[in-house]
Amino acid sequence: MVKAFVAKSLDDCLNILNQENVKIVAGGTDMLIQNRTHSGIAIGFKTDVLYVSLVDELKHITEDKSNIYIGATCSLEQILENNLVPKILRDSILEMASPAIRHTATLAGNIGNASPAGDSLVCLYLLDAKLEIKSINSTRYQLLKDFILGVRKIDLAKNEMITKIIIPKINFDLVYFRKVGPRLSDAISKLSFAGALRMENNLVKDIRFAFGAVNIFVVRRREIEEKLIGIDKKTIKDMSDEIIGYYSEFIKPIDDQRSNKLYRKEVCSNLIKEFLEKI
Amino acid sequence: MRDISTSINKVDNDEKTSGKAIYVADIKLDNMLYAFTVRSKIAKGKIIKIDYPELPLGYYIVDYKDIPGKNIVKVIFDDMPIFTEGDITYLYEPIALLIGPDKAVLSKLFAEVKIEYKEEEPVFAWKDSVIHYHFDKGLGKSALEEGKIIEYVYQTGYQEQAYIEPQGFIGYLETDKTTLIGSIQCPYYVKNAVIQALGAKDDEVRVIQAAVGGAFGGKEEFPSLMACQLAVALKKIKQPIQLVYEREEDMLVTTKRHPSRINFKASIKDNKINGLSVHVGIDGGATIGLSGVVLSRALIACTGAYAIDNLDVSGDVYKTNTVPNGAFRGFGAPQMFFAIEMFVEHIAMELGLDPLEFSKSILAKQGDYTSTMGVFRDPVLMPEMIEKALEVSDYNNKKTMFKKQQNLKGVGMSLFFHGCGFTGSGEKNIIKAKVRLKKQFDKVEILIAAVDMGQGVKTTFRKLVAHILEIDIDKVIFNNPDTDFVPDSGPTVASRTMMIVGGLVARATKEVKDRWNEGSFVVEKQYEQPDYIKYDESNFKGDAYPAYSWGVNVVEVEVDRFTYQVKVNKTWAFYDIGKAIDERIVIGQADGGLAQGLAYGYLEVMNHDKGKIMQKNMTDYIIPTAMDMCSMETYLYENPYAYGPYGAKGVGELSLIGGAPAVAKAIENAIGKKVFKIPVTPEYIMELMKNGKD
Amino acid sequence: MAKIKFTLNNEVVEIDKDLNMRLLDVLRNDFNLTGPKEGCGEGECGACAVLLNHEIVNSCCTPLANVMDKEIITIEGFSITERYRIIKEAFAKTGGVQCGFCTPGMIIATESLLNKNPHPNDFEIKIGLSGNLCRCTGYNLIIEAVKEAAKAGEGLW
Repeated sequence: MVKAFVAKSLDDCLNILNQENVKIVAGGTDMLIQNRTHSGIAIGFKTDVLYVSLVDELKHITEDKSNIYIGATCSLEQILENNLVPKILRDSILEMASPAIRHTATLAGNIGNASPAGDSLVCLYLLDAKLEIKSINSTRYQLLKDFILGVRKIDLAKNEMITKIIIPKINFDLVYFRKVGPRLSDAISKLSFAGALRMENNLVKDIRFAFGAVNIFVVRRREIEEKLIGIDKKTIKDMSDEIIGYYSEFIKPIDDQRSNKLYRKEVCSNLIKEFLEKI
Repeated sequence: MRDISTSINKVDNDEKTSGKAIYVADIKLDNMLYAFTVRSKIAKGKIIKIDYPELPLGYYIVDYKDIPGKNIVKVIFDDMPIFTEGDITYLYEPIALLIGPDKAVLSKLFAEVKIEYKEEEPVFAWKDSVIHYHFDKGLGKSALEEGKIIEYVYQTGYQEQAYIEPQGFIGYLETDKTTLIGSIQCPYYVKNAVIQALGAKDDEVRVIQAAVGGAFGGKEEFPSLMACQLAVALKKIKQPIQLVYEREEDMLVTTKRHPSRINFKASIKDNKINGLSVHVGIDGGATIGLSGVVLSRALIACTGAYAIDNLDVSGDVYKTNTVPNGAFRGFGAPQMFFAIEMFVEHIAMELGLDPLEFSKSILAKQGDYTSTMGVFRDPVLMPEMIEKALEVSDYNNKKTMFKKQQNLKGVGMSLFFHGCGFTGSGEKNIIKAKVRLKKQFDKVEILIAAVDMGQGVKTTFRKLVAHILEIDIDKVIFNNPDTDFVPDSGPTVASRTMMIVGGLVARATKEVKDRWNEGSFVVEKQYEQPDYIKYDESNFKGDAYPAYSWGVNVVEVEVDRFTYQVKVNKTWAFYDIGKAIDERIVIGQADGGLAQGLAYGYLEVMNHDKGKIMQKNMTDYIIPTAMDMCSMETYLYENPYAYGPYGAKGVGELSLIGGAPAVAKAIENAIGKKVFKIPVTPEYIMELMKNGKD
Repeated sequence: MAKIKFTLNNEVVEIDKDLNMRLLDVLRNDFNLTGPKEGCGEGECGACAVLLNHEIVNSCCTPLANVMDKEIITIEGFSITERYRIIKEAFAKTGGVQCGFCTPGMIIATESLLNKNPHPNDFEIKIGLSGNLCRCTGYNLIIEAVKEAAKAGEGLW
């Protein structure tokens, strides 16, 4: 039988992580499903587990001049209800999970799971989110995009845990998020798209596009975005074909039980258009 | 006295809202064991060898060798083994039960079962016809030799019942009696199947209905398979056993709605359908079971709500190495009504006529012949219902306006009926329903085998009896059916419960009323077919149904021009169900049926890949949530049927049938392209908008 | 195995159990509370819903470890309250109950919603119920029930 450790404080977490070989479980909404075997018996975890959801000191959302800090054990509901959190992230949470899931699931858990269909990741990529990662003797900061190494693969040492999600404060003029699910709520995405724009003197100062569930990583291409800086409003609105072309080689969806690649690809293009129409 | 249609609170509300209602999985018995089902991992072939792990004391394997009676599940067409004897005909075919007291141990043992197979090439193409039907009306095929010929093919996919409570049984032995408590629609189907499996006597098997958490046809014939397996295990082990599926197993192995392909050909003369030729192919899966009866109902509905004089009708059930398909609310009619409603619309478009005007011009009327030369004997209120539909939904105005607009809104209307009760002579020759009322002091107990699976039978039947006797509903008793106490009033299927069983109960109640002062006594009634109903099963000739319920649905949708997602904005529904025994219960059936019908039309995708169902859980098989549903307006019409209690006809299935064609037509109206298959998914809409036919 | 203490239906309980058990199984098998149901086992259907510190959660994907020192209320515990009586009567009045399998979860969802938002609009009600699947009703009569409960229970939430 695998062991279960329950941490009540961050120190507990880091000590246990340092001594034991454990998998971290927060809300458990994904981990329990991934590891379940049969009803009526314990979850079939392959390794010992560390439950962190009772760690209250990580349940805070704070800010300073340049960033928002979301504690790792904050529930999605807490994040949804907090006005400090950028609207686009809150919108994505509202669309991605039912109330029951929102009350227990965490953003850090979503990141730790590193599922390419995770809708919150799309917004976090878009917002250049960073992570605070602690071990018993170190604290380090890493960009989310570097932290995620592949499908369900992350850059986390055995004795480390995510403690905070850090979101830089930026005032965008336009943010846009679309989760394209098989129904209107509470379903895994066929794909998702997030876009953001900041203009200065009628010229593009900062423009961002992120696509979920169309490649093994969330697709965000800084080099394409940089090409568009300095373009005026009228011109950028008419550039959809060009921009679609730029992203074409990175949008490589698959056929599965939820949708097919033709649809996913085409809708990505359409959502680029819709985003540009809104400018 | 109040009109019977006036709603009352359902009698089982309190036990259900408080969580006290007992469903199968809620029952625990002393020394109860659990059963897991060992299943094949291939779609076709033979088992060469099975290596079971060494079983600890108290753990058992039960397979075909333990069956005392026949290794066949008694359904309508008996071709499903209880456990395979070595031949594998579909993926996850049951091989054995692994049984024991500790689920954790079972789970470990289960993973250690090793089976060697000799694989064969499975058949997934629809080429192996195991049932073929054909019938003509009027001039038959020869009517298609003249006039303008229009041909189209329509396809429908799987649909999963997706009852929220998965299938389950619990069983135990009372001395010699095998007792099974289950989540079932048909206590006597289960009992008779178990009797045959055990080679038992009639009084050696007892079947009791637990609270049923939704069924929709899914708990019509499939539970008999589980019950037979469990009964065999009980005989061997002689300890209580629970066999309850979890969601994934339920979705992978239980019966679903038959996918279909329907080819239509019409000859048109003077803007009328002169002749119609139709072929219906359905995928039966690995066993035939109820497929022939499903096909019959589809074929008989081939004219839709219209009168067409000359018909050439044929159909095939194809056997494939896939999970067996079976009963699902509507039973062949939803497939056919989707196809014929689209076809009539497409004919009108091709003739340059207004589709609704064209439909109205060929609508069936009282006295017209049905597809099988039966007669629509009762008044047909469709013209009145359509008029009302046009008025309250502003249909004509919207249809024209939406066509012109850029915003991809659309509106669609479907016209349909449902033949109430069993097809053909089933009631008279096979079911022979019997009901019993027991009067004791000032109370009356209803003894029937009808199951309340949410549709409100417990309430409506008590209300019916109380109303006739003019007594308080508390004086009328109705317990969940237990075959040791209730006679066989037939299965809870085919929209027959209120019309047929309720009709019998009403007759029995009238006798109770006449004899009220006699003290305690029992009244029994058996079904007698109305004299005018004559049906020749083998030639599809005569009255296939004693009565018809009718419906009109209007659906308004909006298609997202970037994602092709469909949002249903509003529905309007109009039903002639004879007479509502309780209006609110009927509205509940109307809403719920339409939700399933709409979702069948645009949302619910299920397919298999080499015999494996790809959407095997509620995450991947998408049924509507509250967010997907819209406001629904329902209008009921009274049109009493002489043999139904207070004139009641069938309700349950009717409300599912019109959803798919109405939503498909609304999408056509929105995107300006013809729709030929359901579900009309965003992926399909994208394809249509690029390459579809105007 | 480990001892774990939590409040269950207003009583402090302690149980010696594998903390990797699902809360749903512990409620149903160890406390014989069978009001929460298993419909899907993966957090989609909401039939297993209970209140955790007065908010709806799916007990099928809540590990026992996560309820340490928390307050759990199941439909059995909730059904002795005045709020329950109002919700129950609203469901009866509108016809929101059919097969009943989703119903305890729907009642819990209604309570969780009204507790946070006593006057929800239609859209908020739909979101509030979006994690609870019902295959019988098409939802409208349940949505009506929530509205009716909010009205009849004015002041209670």
